[in-house]
Amino acid sequence: MAHGENAAGFEEHHGTGRYVAVWVALCVLTVATFLTSRLALGPPWHLLVAMAIAGGKATLVALFFMHLWDQPGANRLVFVTSLAFVALLIGLTVLDNATRFPLTNPPHEQTLRFQPPGEEPHVQEGERGQGRPGAIGRPAAEH
Amino acid sequence: MNPSANSVVYNTPNYLDAEGGVRSWLFTRDHKRIGVMYLVLTTSAFALGGLFAMLIRIELLTPGPTIMSAMTYNRMFTLHGVVMIFLFMVPAIPGIFGNFFLPLMLGAQDVAFPRLNLLSVYLYLVGATIAVWGMIQGGADTGWTFYAPYSTTTTTKVVPILLGAFVIGFSSIVTGINFIVTTHTMRGPGLTWDRMPLFVWSIYATSIIQVLATPVLGMVLLLVAIEHSFGFGIFDPARGGDPILLQHLFWFYSHPAVYIMVLPAMAVISEVVCAFARKNMFGYKAVAYSSLGIAFVGFFTWGHHLFTSGQSAFDAGIFGVLSMFVGIFTAIKVFNWTATLYKGAIKFTAPFAYVCGFLFFLVFGGMTGVALATVSLDVHWQDTYFVVAHFHFIMVGGTIMAFLAGIHYWWPKMFGRMYSEGWALVAACTIIFGFNATFIPQFLLGNMGMPRRYYSYPAQFWPLNVASTAGASLLGFGFLLVLVYLLLSLKYGRVAGANPWGSRGFEWNTPSPPSALNFPVPPVFTHGPHDYQDRGPGEEPSPTPPPEAQHA
Repeated sequence: MAHGENAAGFEEHHGTGRYVAVWVALCVLTVATFLTSRLALGPPWHLLVAMAIAGGKATLVALFFMHLWDQPGANRLVFVTSLAFVALLIGLTVLDNATRFPLTNPPHEQTLRFQPPGEEPHVQEGERGQGRPGAIGRPAAEH
Repeated sequence: MNPSANSVVYNTPNYLDAEGGVRSWLFTRDHKRIGVMYLVLTTSAFALGGLFAMLIRIELLTPGPTIMSAMTYNRMFTLHGVVMIFLFMVPAIPGIFGNFFLPLMLGAQDVAFPRLNLLSVYLYLVGATIAVWGMIQGGADTGWTFYAPYSTTTTTKVVPILLGAFVIGFSSIVTGINFIVTTHTMRGPGLTWDRMPLFVWSIYATSIIQVLATPVLGMVLLLVAIEHSFGFGIFDPARGGDPILLQHLFWFYSHPAVYIMVLPAMAVISEVVCAFARKNMFGYKAVAYSSLGIAFVGFFTWGHHLFTSGQSAFDAGIFGVLSMFVGIFTAIKVFNWTATLYKGAIKFTAPFAYVCGFLFFLVFGGMTGVALATVSLDVHWQDTYFVVAHFHFIMVGGTIMAFLAGIHYWWPKMFGRMYSEGWALVAACTIIFGFNATFIPQFLLGNMGMPRRYYSYPAQFWPLNVASTAGASLLGFGFLLVLVYLLLSLKYGRVAGANPWGSRGFEWNTPSPPSALNFPVPPVFTHGPHDYQDRGPGEEPSPTPPPEAQHA
């Protein structure tokens, strides 16, 4: 072991109260996921809300059950970096989905639409009046 | 390392003689023995992948059918890709040289998790067995990329191949975690980050990619297997799926996987360049940090594989620009290696010959890569032999050159015997020439418009295909030559001694072969790696090699 990176402090134990509290919070959030799925939020908000709750649950698990809360800063940094790469994967993939030629998307897919700067909107003759749910950036007349 | 460590007399036997019997190998936790196990396994996989390659080239010797049916040909190129990538190029250098030399370079007794290390070998073996079983059952015909919807609907045995690659992914992750923890926690006294050998830096960067990217591959392979088996509509557009999503997920791993292959190759080259130029690395920190730079930027480029797939033009533009950044970090390394050679006391041995081959293939393959990252050019070259030649130059050529450089450089350390230097140089020249003869015609074929993965082709492409097959034959002969003289050296080679090259690498301060316990006393590191004397004008370029450590 070179420079004390594994130094004391890792073995800190907490009472069961903390774990019970986190478990209760996770249960509440699970119920919240179910209840929000029953609300008529409409796309894409139902997905965003569900992902936000799931992210919160994952954070609680990582912080307390996986003891990240007690770790030194370097280990937290590694964890956050891995989240950044997940965001990268999802971000650029969704960006493609939102900016590609619409007919290359699967039928009935709910997609965000984003108009890249300086690009004409892709609207096919047969597509008018068939706007997909959640489409953003199209003239209202097309829907 | 403390010079006093060189004169230590080792009272323990070397790792090969420490324990006898098959059982001692099957249950070993010694990182060196695990490295040797990886050597045997990955070399066997390389032979199998090479056999598939030769069969492909023989089939393409004539424009029409030559020795196999179109379906068999599809299976051949799929299995060639799967075996070469998942069973050889990804695990070879980290598995062999990383396992063997990382702890020695760090002054450690072993890796951080020796049992996990052994588990990685068995995961590799289980994954390889499943994949080979799938091949015996008929094999897949999808190409190694498993693109949907073909991969989710084909009747060939795609699932065992997918599951085999999935299991091997765990082996890769386990190895990566082990190396990261070992580097962080097991460095010897005095071995600060800026004293670590460049080999360690590159293996560390590779491990980060393995840990971050491989789970995504495992996930996508599993999804393809599930869709193929149960008909879910994840990627097949006929069932409401998105085939381009598969390509995004697949290349999020598989493009960084190129750097999982090339970064360890760069690790080896950094060591060999210093040893045979007898100079400290020019711009040590730039080379070290550029490894991390490649690992980081490598994650931003995957979309350049999707330029013609239906990906949005906006995303393609972003990925095209981001792809160029990898060239910057690679160029930093190439400039520093060549600057290290400048005014070096170069000793032209077999490992150094492979370094020369590596530099040529990396630069040539890298520059064609920059061209391919340009969307407007890629549209014309996409899925032609130009792409095949490009990635064989940079990924296969680079990795194999470094693998051969490493095996020749460290063979005396691993097994305590020298090989025939004359035959080694003959083989090096044969392999480098054979590689060029195989793939330069493929650049030309691709530029003329010949698509990849096609069973037959117009007669106008015949001469270049004959040239490529002739080159592949020469290449195969060169590899056989290497295998023969290395195996012969185990019995007939002269005893190497602790440091036959006079290298200043930390690992050479152990006997050859190294002791089972690595170091009788923990070594103290008092200076950086590659500590060759800085020479002024007119000075003799020959630092004294360290005294030889010996077994008692």
